[in-house]
Amino acid sequence: MGPIVCATRGGEASRRTQEHAIALARERGDPLIFLFVADSSFAHPDSRALAEALADELERLGHSLLSIAQVRAREQGISAEAAIRHGSVRQAIEDFLREVKASTLVLGAPGAGSEKKTFFPGELPQFAQEINTATGVDVIVVW
Amino acid sequence: MDEFLAVESLVILLLLVASIVAIAVRRIRLPYTVALVLVGLLITFEQELAFEVTPELILALFVPPLVFEAAFHLELSQLRDNLIPILILAVPGVVLSTLLVGGIVSLGIGLSLSLAVIFGALISATDPVAVVAFFRALGVSRRLAVAVEGESLFNDGTAIVVYNIVLAAALVGSFDLVKGLLDFLWIALGGLGIGVALGWVVSRLIAQIDDYFIEITLTTVLAFGAYLVAEQVHVSGVLAVVAAGIISGNIGSRGMSPTTKIVLFNFWEYVAFFANSLVFLLIGTKVNVPQLVTHIVPIMVAVGAVLIARAIVVYGLLWLPSLRGQRVHIPMSWRHVLFWGGLRGAISLALALSLPRQLPQRDLLEVMAFGVVLFTLLGQGTTIRFVMERLGLTKRPGPIVARERRLGQLYAAQAGLSRLAELRHDGLLAGDVWAALRDEYHETSHLLAEEMSQLFAEHPDLEREVLLRARQEALHAERGALSDALRQGLIAEDVYRQLVSEVDRRLEALALISEATTPARTDEE
Repeated sequence: MGPIVCATRGGEASRRTQEHAIALARERGDPLIFLFVADSSFAHPDSRALAEALADELERLGHSLLSIAQVRAREQGISAEAAIRHGSVRQAIEDFLREVKASTLVLGAPGAGSEKKTFFPGELPQFAQEINTATGVDVIVVW
Repeated sequence: MDEFLAVESLVILLLLVASIVAIAVRRIRLPYTVALVLVGLLITFEQELAFEVTPELILALFVPPLVFEAAFHLELSQLRDNLIPILILAVPGVVLSTLLVGGIVSLGIGLSLSLAVIFGALISATDPVAVVAFFRALGVSRRLAVAVEGESLFNDGTAIVVYNIVLAAALVGSFDLVKGLLDFLWIALGGLGIGVALGWVVSRLIAQIDDYFIEITLTTVLAFGAYLVAEQVHVSGVLAVVAAGIISGNIGSRGMSPTTKIVLFNFWEYVAFFANSLVFLLIGTKVNVPQLVTHIVPIMVAVGAVLIARAIVVYGLLWLPSLRGQRVHIPMSWRHVLFWGGLRGAISLALALSLPRQLPQRDLLEVMAFGVVLFTLLGQGTTIRFVMERLGLTKRPGPIVARERRLGQLYAAQAGLSRLAELRHDGLLAGDVWAALRDEYHETSHLLAEEMSQLFAEHPDLEREVLLRARQEALHAERGALSDALRQGLIAEDVYRQLVSEVDRRLEALALISEATTPARTDEE
């Protein structure tokens, strides 16, 4: 089967989402890729230079968060890859799933009282359904 | 010349006192402005100041920079989110408060209704400096801060307009409701219009330049100029400054480099600190304690009237839009803060001091105004923190506090160990003592590090927060290193500016990311 892609962003749901993806990779023996999407559309930067700085800082943050996720996987005997993509979350995830011919996408649902502005659209099940329809990839939402 | 030097010496002395007070309040749980008033009071017990606090001094010199700074910092999007409650409190709220206070005071102490309504108008402007200072220190929701600051900014202007209208009516001896309403609209909208126009012109100028000295100068001209121009054409100077500040802070700042933005915002924060320090010290020096004691009954009635009116405005008026199906999202806990945090300050005193000499019972109105301002500052200002704590508005997420606590302990342990290593290196610590203490410190550090790991395991959301903060710390260090490099002549001024600007831009980007990912605690009830 194709690789399992775990979309992560270091929020409140990230740990349980990553753990779920690691367990799935171990069970299936499939490769695991942690994906971070640097989507700066939430901020509406007022200059090109600031937009670039924002994208770069998001990428740095992504690198660090993905490194932590990789260490977490390694500690459980899984050698995971990491990838960063820029752009809107939905489009970037769909493109990446096609690019790596993924079999499964694992997403986390933020709990109550987490981020003010989530990087994912509010209706997560609908979002998952739409990605599945667009790419044919199984989508697991970790609640 | 001698007089000039005397004034200069007095200002320097007051600033020195203000600095000492600012240092002292870091150790005691008292708002800075409240402490200033108390110290001002103590100063006059010793010796009366040879300095007249005129209403013109407060209104034309101190109020414009204070209002401009607050408006300059106000984000248009946040203002828009809170506009309905802010306008309700600042327009009908001020009018209702004026009438309610006037009515209660008239009934309570037998003052004529026209004079009591003048008092109601002059005491209606809120001055939440002491409250907002706590908001910043305690990390209270920005939305609540915007609601409190926004109300204060606009009601400063509307209260002055209402005051002038009712004062004119009292002096003439008749009041025409339609004319009063038209005057109100003309003065308020005229002031806002002038502010918007001048703010826009200066913002356009600022967009063409990237030099923070010029931009600071232009915003200074704007802050005072908007006030003066508006007053010259007999419209609201304060509302002109409010509009000019909001426009230049939101539109003007768009074209600024991050460095200019930081320098400009720091400049205005300092100007506000400077003006606030002098205003509240001078308020303290103007309080005549024996006179307050003599008039304690009317003052108590006035305090009661102000509190009742405030309660009706905050709890009653903000509830009205929901009757029409409109949602004004101000949680009840915030309304309690709006009620108890409705302190009175510089505007009320300036208006009280500006009452015409020929007005009957003028001295009584003035002493009542001082009494109310003093009560709100000393009574409400000193307890608002307690109220906010009781309402749970100052609570920070437990895991974050726990992480900071362990981090602090870890820093302290490392500093202790490093000092012991220095002592050992200098031969001041015996080998076996050093070894014992070192092992103890290592053990503590190890334990703390394990506790931090455990904390991260239990609260994964801390990961991102820690990464963002660490990156911010690193960027601040980079900024400091660039300043050192400039001082040492390693890099030229233009290279320094360019590099610092890049760091500032990154800091701004991190602030945006932090804002978008900070857990919501107090925004919702």
